[in-house]
Amino acid sequence: MNTIFQYIKRYRLSIIIALMLMFVELAVELTQPLLIRKIIDEGIVVGESHTIWLWGSIMMLLALLAFLAGICNSFFAGYAAQNFAYDLRNALFKKVQSFTMATFLQFPSASLITRLTNDVTQVQQVFFMSLRIMLRAPLVVLGSLIMAFYVDASLAIYLCIGIPVLAVFMYMMVKKSIGNFALVQHKVDRVNRMIQENLQAMRLVKAYLRGLYEVSRFEKVASALKKDTSSALRLMEYIQPILLIVMNIAMLAILWFGAGQIQNGKTNIGDIAAIVNYTMRMTGSFSMFAFIITLFSRAKASATRMEEILLIKDGIEEVVLPTKIEAPYKKGEIVFENVSFKYPQTDRYVLKNISFSCKKGEKIAIMGATGSGKSTLLQLITKFYEVEEGRILVDGVDIKEWNLKNLRQSIGYVPQRSLLFTGTIFDNITWGKTKATKEEVIKATKQAQIYDSIMDFQNGYQTRVGQKGVNLSGGQKQRLSIARAILRKPEFLLFDDSTSALDVKTESALWKALEEEQATMLVVTQKIRTAKGADRIILLEDGVLSAFGTHKELIASSILYKKIAQSQMELGVKGDD
Amino acid sequence: MIKSKLRSYIYEPVLTKEDIQSSKKRKGARASDWRKTLGRIWKIVDEQRALLIIILLMVVISSILSLLGPYLIGKIIDDHMIKKDFTGLKSMILVLIFVYIGLSISIFLQNYWMIGIAQQTVYRMRTGLFAKFQRLPIAFFDKRQHGELMSRMTNDMDNISSTLNSTFIQVFSSVITLVGTLVVMFSMSPLLTFLTMLIIPVMFVSTRWITRRTGKLFKTQQQALGSLNGMIEETISGQRVVKAFSQEQRMIDEFANKSSDLRRVGYWANVYSGAIPKTMNLLNNTSFAIVAGVGGILALKGYVSIGTIVVFSEYARQFTRPLNDLSNQFNNVLSAIAGAERVFTIMDEKEEQDQGKGELIREIRGDVTFEDVSFQYNLEEDIATIEHINFHVKKGQTVALVGATGAGKTTIMQLLARFYDPQQGRILIDDCPIQTISRQNLRSQMAFVLQEPFLFEATIKENIRYGRLQATDDDVVNAAKKANAHNFIMSLPNGYDTVLTADGGEISQGQRQLLSIARALVANPAILLLDEATSSIDTVTELEIQEALERLMEGRTSLVIAHRLNTIRKADLILVMEKGKLIESGEREKLIAKKGVFYQMLQQSTL
Repeated sequence: MNTIFQYIKRYRLSIIIALMLMFVELAVELTQPLLIRKIIDEGIVVGESHTIWLWGSIMMLLALLAFLAGICNSFFAGYAAQNFAYDLRNALFKKVQSFTMATFLQFPSASLITRLTNDVTQVQQVFFMSLRIMLRAPLVVLGSLIMAFYVDASLAIYLCIGIPVLAVFMYMMVKKSIGNFALVQHKVDRVNRMIQENLQAMRLVKAYLRGLYEVSRFEKVASALKKDTSSALRLMEYIQPILLIVMNIAMLAILWFGAGQIQNGKTNIGDIAAIVNYTMRMTGSFSMFAFIITLFSRAKASATRMEEILLIKDGIEEVVLPTKIEAPYKKGEIVFENVSFKYPQTDRYVLKNISFSCKKGEKIAIMGATGSGKSTLLQLITKFYEVEEGRILVDGVDIKEWNLKNLRQSIGYVPQRSLLFTGTIFDNITWGKTKATKEEVIKATKQAQIYDSIMDFQNGYQTRVGQKGVNLSGGQKQRLSIARAILRKPEFLLFDDSTSALDVKTESALWKALEEEQATMLVVTQKIRTAKGADRIILLEDGVLSAFGTHKELIASSILYKKIAQSQMELGVKGDD
Repeated sequence: MIKSKLRSYIYEPVLTKEDIQSSKKRKGARASDWRKTLGRIWKIVDEQRALLIIILLMVVISSILSLLGPYLIGKIIDDHMIKKDFTGLKSMILVLIFVYIGLSISIFLQNYWMIGIAQQTVYRMRTGLFAKFQRLPIAFFDKRQHGELMSRMTNDMDNISSTLNSTFIQVFSSVITLVGTLVVMFSMSPLLTFLTMLIIPVMFVSTRWITRRTGKLFKTQQQALGSLNGMIEETISGQRVVKAFSQEQRMIDEFANKSSDLRRVGYWANVYSGAIPKTMNLLNNTSFAIVAGVGGILALKGYVSIGTIVVFSEYARQFTRPLNDLSNQFNNVLSAIAGAERVFTIMDEKEEQDQGKGELIREIRGDVTFEDVSFQYNLEEDIATIEHINFHVKKGQTVALVGATGAGKTTIMQLLARFYDPQQGRILIDDCPIQTISRQNLRSQMAFVLQEPFLFEATIKENIRYGRLQATDDDVVNAAKKANAHNFIMSLPNGYDTVLTADGGEISQGQRQLLSIARALVANPAILLLDEATSSIDTVTELEIQEALERLMEGRTSLVIAHRLNTIRKADLILVMEKGKLIESGEREKLIAKKGVFYQMLQQSTL
């Protein structure tokens, strides 16, 4: 909770103002009965119309004052609450952006989404309410209690008998319900996840006619949410009736013992009536109390979930690590030295003892069976994951010592799945370099062999990319994401099997166009043709580097490579080769 | 100076004069919109009418008991304490104990049951919306951000849920109290009652003034929240790219922008909706002043007794309290309506149309004919169109679609699966127009391997079984073996029970493809659609599963898209596409002999 309080503290001033305005309102409200009494006793009863007008107008003036205070309170409370939520959201988003991939994978994306919106809203609402009404109920209770003691302490003491019992009871309820509401939020995560999954897999679900099946799966998740929400809320419903019973019994005790005191002549009726009156006011505020407790528990559960994210200390990328290299002396060079790697929380090594090096402007193809570690190798260079054994040198410097931003600035990474964003084609290409000129964009698109396709679209660069690029073909998406990468003029280009959907002609044109970039290229591919065009080829087998050399060398030395090559021989026109 | 200081606490207004003007003009329309939305929620709530009636009964009981308590206490004071006659006090207190216990129980029960109703309603709306998602055409989802749709399911639903929980009982009990007090007041003094009621029109007008603004604000707020959700979802799913391009800071800035939009709307929604209770308070006091002032003068003239005024002023205060509650609830209702409207907009979207609905499941043989088929995704922005496509595939044949990317190959498959309907021409299956066959019927006999293999967050076993839910464990293992996935599955610590995560590193993209091939193998369909099914699989493995695929294709009509021309060397028919048009078609040997486009492609691929 402390971390969240930090964010509240920033708006101390407006909180104080809001609270003061609320006190003004409350003060007017509390003096009102006195004024009414005055109007009745000194005006109406006595028949003094002058007094009625005088106190009547004073009352109206005060009411107007309370009204103004209340309206102003809205502004300050709104200001504090909305800013608090704004800061909190931004802080969460910023934190999430700083996660390493490993940390990132610990939280399902749907859960992150819930935490950034739903949970923030929960806490914000409670905060806003507490600046406006929440404190009123406790204050009314306290005020009435003090007044009751002031009137007759010997009777008012009965009001206090129930209090320790209630305090323990409420403490237990709050403690239990925080856990319950955390469970509810967790179920909201599940619902969110399920929807996200279905939206992503819509075509698959439709193709396999699993609509009803998915609905029945969703019903399970939704009914779990229903059940948990109901039982969390229902638990809170015990509070109000029990508070009511305890308070009302206390009141009856006052009446009973008060009657005795009247018999003895110790107390007069007026006092009893007053205490009963105050007790009723307290009881009235208690229903508010139950409501507050519910809100508070809910907010606390949400706050904890947010803190889980805000307090993560390990697994954060050090983006601002001071770079030790001002001018790299071995530009365009990548060296792997005995690199072994396994994904966090797994035991199996995906890469074992990999060593190789490549020079500036060299084009290295990476081949190997499905699951042999090709993509992982590229993702180590971009430092998505930390290498534990061995080291990787980029431009002659261990990537651990690189400033992360500089490192990634020098790499153009084209992922296996082309991830596009909502916006126009132009937005997507300039996504990695927003300040690019139109000429640069045209050049990059021409190099990526997508220029003609874009020109064929009616709206050209302004064509909107549908949700995750659904309105584009696989090859178009791949070429867009290639254009996005080369627009940045990176020193290194990493292609993670990102030309798989390109036909032969387009692909060769692409490689030809990229020659002028003089970038060092690492290309994961399945195609022997692509590999042939590379300077050297890395062949991975179960995470081990089994061969490294040119096409000719590998054909001669590697059985696996030869097998791959053979598998791709076009039988019909074999003689043409 | 104070003014400028204060200004820093006030945001630029969201509502323009036009907004308010237009909402004035649309007054009638808007009110009927609200009524419609409320009516639809009510319809779901009403499904539990029996429970609802019991709850209302409880509300009546608790209202009566809560009036009875003070009345009896008043009696105790009057009859026993003032008269100092304590006989019968004990039994009175005993009665009171029962009254209060009854009160507590009835309050508990009404709330307990109401939670059930509210949650059930939200559950029904949630599952209803989800089921609706399943019936909507693919084109609907192309235009919308996932995160935005998700927000409707959680954030908007939350609004409805919390409002239903509290509002219903509040409104009902307020109405009861209101009517009760009004009756008592009227019996005491019709004139003063009339005076007290003078504030009602003012209350009405001021509430309208506020809600005219808040209604729009709440809606905008939910929209802003939805778009923020959309942005979060997108950045999180695309996190690898964000990192690779070091765009974190820009994303953070963009987020802050959207977040501040939400802040501004939220601020004004808070400010305006906060004004309602304050206005009510002011009006309460005014009403009291009127009663006291006018009543006092009347009393001086002897029209009413002083006692009446004293008691009446108390009642006047009681009278305005439920009104106050009602107006407070009104705001909650508005925010729920804002959420519900967003949910219902989707519920009203046009579903996938099926002419062949209700038709019996018919065996599909697998004759496929395209007759002059043209299609474009978006009529305004013509991306990826196909034009005048004609071809015929006989049952059991394998057709290969080749051509440059964006030529429209995937589109042909999507049309065949009826993800979209063509704008021109017809597609025949077994000589029946495809529109006359229900999607259910059609897709039940098709299996798909999509370009991007999607796996669910479930075990590997469940993911393969997705192709046919009745498949036994043996079927699953067999399919996995055929798809060459068995070995890598067994190398995972939990084997077939390994739970896959959405973006996890436990298996590679190629392995994902193997699993989706296994899924298709389990399905046992009449028509098989393979869209780049093996693009991320290494060619040695591919060669090994080729045989399995060929066996799978035997006797079934298959459409295959592959860039590696090797993959399709056994196709009966090859369709060569370019820019949405079919430029060559025929048997492989014939196309080679023709030395046309296909021959050239073949040449290049083996260079």
